[in-house]
Amino acid sequence: MSRFLFPRWTNNLLPFILVTGAIMPLYAVLVVAYGFSPKTIDAGYMPTQPVPYSHATHVGKLGLDCRYCHTTVERTSFAAVPPTQTCMNCHTQIHRESPKLAEVRSSYETGLPIEWVKVHKLPDYSYFNHAAHVNRGVSCVECHGRVDQMEVVYRHSPLAMGWCLECHRDPIDRLRPVSQITNLAWDQRIEMTREEREALATQYHINPSENCSTCHR
Amino acid sequence: MPRIIVYTLLILGLLLLLPPVIAANARSRPNPNRPINIIQDMDLQAKFLPQTENDLFADKRSQRPAVLGTVARGEAYLDAHLNDGVVDGQWATTLPSQFTLDAKLLLRGQERFNIYCTPCHGYTGVGNGTVNQRAMELVANAEGPVNGTVWVAAKSLHDPTVTIQPVGQIFNSITHGVRNMAGYGSQVPTEDRWAIVAYVRALQLSQNASLSDVPSDKRGGL
Ligand code: HEC
Ligand code: HEC
Ligand code: HEC
Ligand code: HEC
Ligand code: HEC
Ligand code: HEC
Repeated sequence: MSRFLFPRWTNNLLPFILVTGAIMPLYAVLVVAYGFSPKTIDAGYMPTQPVPYSHATHVGKLGLDCRYCHTTVERTSFAAVPPTQTCMNCHTQIHRESPKLAEVRSSYETGLPIEWVKVHKLPDYSYFNHAAHVNRGVSCVECHGRVDQMEVVYRHSPLAMGWCLECHRDPIDRLRPVSQITNLAWDQRIEMTREEREALATQYHINPSENCSTCHR
Repeated sequence: MPRIIVYTLLILGLLLLLPPVIAANARSRPNPNRPINIIQDMDLQAKFLPQTENDLFADKRSQRPAVLGTVARGEAYLDAHLNDGVVDGQWATTLPSQFTLDAKLLLRGQERFNIYCTPCHGYTGVGNGTVNQRAMELVANAEGPVNGTVWVAAKSLHDPTVTIQPVGQIFNSITHGVRNMAGYGSQVPTEDRWAIVAYVRALQLSQNASLSDVPSDKRGGL
């Protein structure tokens, strides 16, 4: 009866197997941490919208203020995506036969909403409030990035809990006067000194909460 | 060592590079696909948030438009002066009693004017806003107006036909629009519309001011 014997060359493999065995767990942890982090998975989501609407044109070039369209940001928890009527303030006249606006015109005629694809979405068990941030000196740019330069909006931030808390723990650098909220090109880290920002925090009584019930209610 | 083993190991080693490369690629640029979400938790709950879909209705709106002929609480427009700018069937010539004309109201009006009106009327109200200018360019295009653009120039708010108007009429123009200008009643709340009216009046006065309007202690600064 012949027994199976490992061939002699397998001895050379032994150190290799040991080294790989030691490295593999580390590799797996790193890949999962990097690859499944919200920065990889959630940030950068850029869906195709039904109308090729460009913030770069309307905000960057024409200089419209965010609140012209997103009228509710300062008053309510959610930021309203504008109704078709808002587009038609201008587009009944400007580019009124443009094929790019066909969807807007048909929505205006039928009264059915344009089905914009939601880009930013928190899980339903978490609570977010725009008014609480915008009226306390946190600019759109801190969370949404340079929207005024985007042809198509994409998700700039991971919107993960760690990301929210990072700012709630140390908001000083990310505060600016409420009058500059929608001025995305303005940067408080350049225009203001740290002392001025600290003074602002005292003036606005900024004390962001880390209680679970603030965001999970 | 057999060749096949060496090659297999090499290929496996190369395959290990793949996941980090895919992740780095996903991180570096925007992606049109919905983020993968394996563990759903309670991410999607059976409740309706603002601006979401509700398949029960034909138009899929979860935020229901008001039913025709009904009035929501607090939206009964009974105060004609406040809501329509009308007093005894005439355009109101004063601000409604809810407002006092002070610096706070004017600053609010300035901020709101700069958001909603400057695109067309410009910061001083003469009608040189960015949208107005761009629309003029589109109309004046050498090969004919682009995409059938037509444009009536945004009127100067210092035009005599506007400066003689009572505040109530200007309020009405903002709320319901005039001729080629759309109404801003749905975008701007009533209080802010009155603040804008007050600011428009201030702008008009500023363009027709004389030296005697400047307080005597400030005249040195001119
Ligand atoms: C002319 C109207 C208009 C103006 C002005 C405007 N937006 Fe928008 N915005 C839209 C429309 C329409 C959408 C939905 C379509 C899309 O996502 O591109 C949108 C979408 C967005 C979204 C993504 C919403 C989502 O689905 O998650 C963000 C964020 C946003 N806008 C931020 C801004 C900021 C910041 C400004 C000011 C710098 C601004 N917008 C100015 C019309 C406007
Ligand atoms: C305040 C005026 C104004 C509003 C409000 C506005 N737009 Fe525009 N839009 C313009 C102007 C001006 C242009 C032309 C820009 C250019 O050609 O440089 C334009 C261009 C466009 C174009 C490109 C058309 C083409 O054929 O090149 C699209 C698409 C568009 N807008 C969509 C929208 C949508 C959707 C909305 C509503 C959310 C909207 N716009 C609201 C002023 C406006
Ligand atoms: C502190 C971070 C933060 C700031 C500041 C902020 N946003 Fe947002 N925004 C969010 C988050 C988070 C969401 C997703 C909300 C959700 O899914 O409930 C969101 C969603 C939106 C949406 C989509 C709403 C919808 O229902 O589709 C728009 C539009 C928007 N923001 C515009 C703005 C504008 C304009 C500003 C500045 C005036 C602004 N945001 C400031 C974090 C922020
Ligand atoms: C860039 C900084 C920043 C980021 C990012 C941020 N916040 Fe805040 N948040 C603040 C500040 C500043 C306040 C105001 C604190 C105060 O009123 O004292 C605040 C207040 C709040 C409040 C209101 C608390 C109250 O008392 O009503 C809620 C809710 C909240 N944040 C949720 C979130 C969530 C959820 C996220 C992540 C999606 C988030 N925040 C991300 C800065 C931030
Ligand atoms: C500043 C707001 C904020 C505070 C404070 C906060 N959370 Fe969260 N939390 C969030 C957001 C936003 C998410 C959703 C993150 C995501 O989309 O992955 C979340 C997600 C979670 C999840 C689900 C994670 C997952 O991916 O399954 C748990 C569990 C949780 N939070 C527990 C807590 C507990 C416990 C506390 C108190 C110590 C707390 N949170 C405080 C904002 C907050
Ligand atoms: C999209 C461009 C646009 C915007 C934004 C706009 N207007 Fe106008 N406005 C016009 C045009 C165009 C006219 C001239 C209408 C005509 O003569 O057919 C006009 C005319 C007027 C008039 C003169 C009315 C009359 O009786 O002659 C007033 C007053 C006025 N606008 C006030 C405002 C105020 C206040 C705002 C801000 C809430 C505003 N407009 C925003 C385009 C605009």
